Amino acid sequence: MAVVLALGAGIAQADPHPWQLNLTRGVTTWSGEPYFLNNVAFGVCVVIGVLVFGAMFIAMFRFRKSRGAVPEKWSHNTTVEIVWTTIPVIILMVLAYLATGGLVSFANTTGAQMTVKVTGYQWKWRYDYVDYLGKPISKVGFMSKLDALSDKTRQLGSGLDPYAVKTGNENTYLLNVDKPLVLPIHTKIRFVITSDDVIHSWFVPAFGWKMDAIPGIVNTAWTNINVPGTYRGQCAELCGQDHGFMPIVVKAVSRADFAKWLAKQEQASAPAPAAPPAAASSAAAPAAAASAPGGNG
Amino acid sequence: MAHEATHDHHDHHHAPQGFFQRWVMSTNHKDIGTLYLIFSLTMFFIGGSFAMVIRAELFKPGLQLVQPSFFNEMTTMHALVMIFGAIMPAFVGLGNWMIPLMIGAPDMALPRMNNLSFWILPFAFTLMLSTLFLPGGGPAGGWTMYPPLSLQSDSLAYVVFAIHLMGISSIMGAINIIATILNMRAPGMDLLKMPVFVWSWLITAFLLIAVMPVLAGAVTMLRCWPAR
Ligand SMILES: [Cu+2]
Repeated sequence: MAVVLALGAGIAQADPHPWQLNLTRGVTTWSGEPYFLNNVAFGVCVVIGVLVFGAMFIAMFRFRKSRGAVPEKWSHNTTVEIVWTTIPVIILMVLAYLATGGLVSFANTTGAQMTVKVTGYQWKWRYDYVDYLGKPISKVGFMSKLDALSDKTRQLGSGLDPYAVKTGNENTYLLNVDKPLVLPIHTKIRFVITSDDVIHSWFVPAFGWKMDAIPGIVNTAWTNINVPGTYRGQCAELCGQDHGFMPIVVKAVSRADFAKWLAKQEQASAPAPAAPPAAASSAAAPAAAASAPGGNG
Repeated sequence: MAHEATHDHHDHHHAPQGFFQRWVMSTNHKDIGTLYLIFSLTMFFIGGSFAMVIRAELFKPGLQLVQPSFFNEMTTMHALVMIFGAIMPAFVGLGNWMIPLMIGAPDMALPRMNNLSFWILPFAFTLMLSTLFLPGGGPAGGWTMYPPLSLQSDSLAYVVFAIHLMGISSIMGAINIIATILNMRAPGMDLLKMPVFVWSWLITAFLLIAVMPVLAGAVTMLRCWPAR
């Protein structure tokens, strides 16, 4: 029972745990794809490794000179050459076929029911909700930056214990943000990803992909989350001094909860458009001040 | 230093030369090879100390020793110093020592250029390492200095110029090695009898001549990126 609970928690949190040996399987309709491809490629590597090293060790131990082994006289065998050319070609073709299938399904963002724009900044993310179920969304967007506790702990000589930065039972040092990206489950979501300054990369392992955020270029990717939960990721392309301090947190909720959340956000931004940006900018002020000396140098 | 001193002492019996003449003005392929190897070892320790800073900071979670920006400078400098300062001069030093011996040549084909291609390196690395002491700090653009991030380092121009110098040094060394291998083999040493080390250097030298101008052009174009 405890194991089942732990397993359930592991899936919902999707963070790596001690002694985890393989990649995460992920929580989306597509994320099994890279997991499967990696397992296939790894399986091929293991079989080849066992055969090659096995043959080497048999040759070294059973056919050594001290055991009276006498070298054969022949030096060429056409059958063997054909076999060891054909088998690798077949392996490569199978791997290429599978990988191409994965890439094609990864790139296919058609039929998305929702669009989220992701913009990388030094050193935070901005999320803008563009449309949901065919309806455009106006003015729902916010900055998402490192949470205050992690930020205080990560300062040089803070004397604070990184292991003490927790959300519930989970250690979330450098893995928590002030405002997570809230997404509905069972919805095909298209991400349009770009950057305002240098190259960043938006990476949530539980989704099974990462996508570069490049200034002047809009990249697309998609996801369809199956399991509600909190999924954490990080910027995956070196983007300057605080590259390690701009995590990503996705909160996947049911479609009903998401509709409620979205309505609240739209309400908050609709009547007094001036108020939320002011609140947001005052909340962001300490971080902006902290990062100012190194910013945009 | 002790190594150099013994050499100085050893040669004293044959040809009286000052330390400066012996080591700085040398056109002897073995002396220049030794200089390359000593330079490479020095750079290996300097680049290694940068890696030690990185590892010491990563020893446990949280920040104990250095600011993140300096950490990034260490990463980039470690990459540049190890590749251009340790690995390449070590290989060139071994080539200088071994190629004339292996093909039966009295020395390299172009001994004065050999001297010049070594002595460019200390200046190039002085220039590059000096950026660590400049107000903006050293370059902090990751391993590959990709733009636009690398453009945010104030010291990029210094690094670009230092890489130009290293490129000039490499191209001259490569020309020297090709000229030596193709022209100065002892009678009977035809190309297919050459040791595989000499062959590997012949190929490498052609690759260097092909690649270095492209690298120089690429780093120069970093400066042409529109400033933000
Ligand atoms: Cu980033």
